[in-house]
Amino acid sequence: MTVWGIVGLPITATAHPMPNSVVLLNVHADRIDAEIQIPLVELQSAWGHAVNDSATGLIERLGPQLRAYLKNHIRPQSPDGRFWSVSVGELLVHETQNPIVGVYRELTAQVQMIPPGQEDVRQFTFYYDAVLHQVRTHKILVSVRQDWGRGQLAEAEPVQVGEISLDIVNDRVLPLPVNLDEGSSWTGFLSMVKLGTRHIAEGTDHLLFLLVLLLPAPLLVAANRWGHFGGIGYSLTRLLSIVTAFTVGHSITLLLGSLNWVRLPSQPVEVLIAVSILVSAVHAIRPLFPGRETWVATGFGLVHGLAFADTLTNLQLDAGPMALSILGFNLGIELMQLLVITLTIPWLIMLSRTPAYRYVRVGGALLAGVAAAAWIIERLTAHPNTITQLLESERTRAVWLLVILACFAVWTSWRSRKNDQLFASRK
Amino acid sequence: MKRISLPGFLLIIGLYGTSILESCKSTDIDAGGTSSGSTSSGSSTNSSSITSTLSATTASSASGVAQVVTLTEAFKATLSSSQLTATQLTYSKTNAQKWSNLPAGMSARYGISLGSLSDAQLVAFRNLMEAVLVLGTTNEGYDEMIGNLVADDYLNTIGGGASYGAGNYYISILGTPSTTGLWAILFTGHHYTQSYTFNAGAVTGVTPAFRGTEPQAAVTAANRTYQAFEQERLAFAAMLTGLSSTEQTTAKLSGTYSDLVLGPGQDGKFPATKSGLQVGTLSSDKQALVLNAIKLYVNDLDATTAATVLTKYTSELSNTYVSYSGTTAMSSQNDYVRIDGPSVWIEFSYQGGVIIRNTPHSHSVWRDHSGDYGGN
Repeated sequence: MTVWGIVGLPITATAHPMPNSVVLLNVHADRIDAEIQIPLVELQSAWGHAVNDSATGLIERLGPQLRAYLKNHIRPQSPDGRFWSVSVGELLVHETQNPIVGVYRELTAQVQMIPPGQEDVRQFTFYYDAVLHQVRTHKILVSVRQDWGRGQLAEAEPVQVGEISLDIVNDRVLPLPVNLDEGSSWTGFLSMVKLGTRHIAEGTDHLLFLLVLLLPAPLLVAANRWGHFGGIGYSLTRLLSIVTAFTVGHSITLLLGSLNWVRLPSQPVEVLIAVSILVSAVHAIRPLFPGRETWVATGFGLVHGLAFADTLTNLQLDAGPMALSILGFNLGIELMQLLVITLTIPWLIMLSRTPAYRYVRVGGALLAGVAAAAWIIERLTAHPNTITQLLESERTRAVWLLVILACFAVWTSWRSRKNDQLFASRK
Repeated sequence: MKRISLPGFLLIIGLYGTSILESCKSTDIDAGGTSSGSTSSGSSTNSSSITSTLSATTASSASGVAQVVTLTEAFKATLSSSQLTATQLTYSKTNAQKWSNLPAGMSARYGISLGSLSDAQLVAFRNLMEAVLVLGTTNEGYDEMIGNLVADDYLNTIGGGASYGAGNYYISILGTPSTTGLWAILFTGHHYTQSYTFNAGAVTGVTPAFRGTEPQAAVTAANRTYQAFEQERLAFAAMLTGLSSTEQTTAKLSGTYSDLVLGPGQDGKFPATKSGLQVGTLSSDKQALVLNAIKLYVNDLDATTAATVLTKYTSELSNTYVSYSGTTAMSSQNDYVRIDGPSVWIEFSYQGGVIIRNTPHSHSVWRDHSGDYGGN
């Protein structure tokens, strides 16, 4: 995301051969959190200290001075003339690059800007001239990265608000007037619903888990093997209870995780998700936990919920918007799950009444097993492999699998019924 | 019934398998793409062939707008109809302003690239440029242009990749060449842009002109060593170090300049107030140093055009200002110098390396307060 912020923006400008500064605004109800990116080569020219020539240990060496410098040059002002309070948090030096200027080192600063009293955060005059007070050719691109109330989430490309640069004709630096459109909780909520649906639509692993778990659901267990179709009532009850169990599971951890009560590192969670698919795939071939699918679905739901929560905590929202976000995000997840299930289940039930279902179940489980194994390897080694890359590139074609499944189901049922009639008439 | 469902199952596997195979194919294409990307180092050989074709200069014949029209038409006559469509555009300020100092891959140009021209077409292009630039001066005029392309070829080979090289320089003809109407030639690539505006049989504009080079150091190609833009840097250093310390203080700007102020896209934004040291207050030998620097830009052009422009700039010299930032040696990053007259505007910026890191390289722009784009 940060990389996009840097790489994506300067290219849109006609010619900015020197690296620019970037200010990314995260708009909250009562404050703005800004991430400020300053190329060290330009900061050095402006500030005098050899920040670029000896960048190692820079924060340890010059942290307090850097914070003071930034505070001096970042001064948002409300329409009534009062300046906001500005505090500079975490500082970080790292190397980055863009195609125009190549590799360069940059300082990122987390800055909190709070208007006085109950002043609006959406309208202010942005006096910002770090670097530019001295380096007259410097440019500062100001963008909104996240504005929950406007439905803008950090996952999307930042929206540029303006550029602060030298007014060449009059040789002066003017502040940037910032006037953001009014946001609302409803817009924020809706954007979270959308994010939830997208998260499932793009989360191939979550979907695959659910589908594989549902594969044997319409079947009865006989002698430790999957047997015949258990009837429509039986199937629907089991499908419904599995889906509900999964939902309950991931809702619990989504809530706990996004409120930061439970926090697990994402790598083991991602590995566990892949394991859950593998286990379900084995189960779809031979019953591992017959009759206990609901509990297993709950358990794995807990794991999947932790991954969902990561998306939300990354938004760093306040309590009110966070509660609405959890609700909206979860609703989005459920809606998308429901859509996928209603599109798939009829065909599965239809097929499960024919002997051909055996091949669909085993074939599907095998493919899911291979995918899960590939994901486990990818997530353990942190390197994509051929299969995971394939899954990523073919993700959008999954719809065709559904179409094939539907056609196959209709065709098989029709043949099967015709055979039955034939059999009956011969009798 | 099993006989029926089994083929069905195979059908599913088959269809799924096909899509997998298709993806494998697309991976193969990707791999092919990578390998074709690496042949771009081979295209640097093409680029070198561009500069070797272009550097075989011939004796210059009489210039003048009529001659330029003839040579432009001769160049156009070598082009295929689709090449001509790309090259011959209508005259508009918007088209004229479409230049940049970024590699063409990062900031698209109009016109036709040298890389897509055949040898015969390159010769026609050469004949045209020979008529509008001065010939026979090392690292100035036409030779400076070749040196610039050679330097870009070099950047291509040392890690710059396909965005760099002589093949990525574009020429376009804006408006119909004639000795009566308004039209322009725009030659623009990474570190070199030269525009010419003609109207009613006269040259009405020779700016904006961008010059620069990375590396600043000499580059060898086709048994020649080019250092396209070194004379300018030295002339500025001579001009500034020639000043007394008091004069230097007056000329020094308070700000730091890490790039040009009036680069591409910054049209018509000349500062309302001139900064620095007025040339008229200087002794005549110091004034001559300023004029020497100006000449290195103006005298890139064919002699007739250059003489007209230089007469004007000389007459305005006493009301021209020089200013600088950084050191007077023009040898470190952020060294910057500006010449701002009633008409002339020249900026030179010695800035950080892009392809060659930690080694400065030059950017420079020549503009004219009233003559940019022929005053249009």
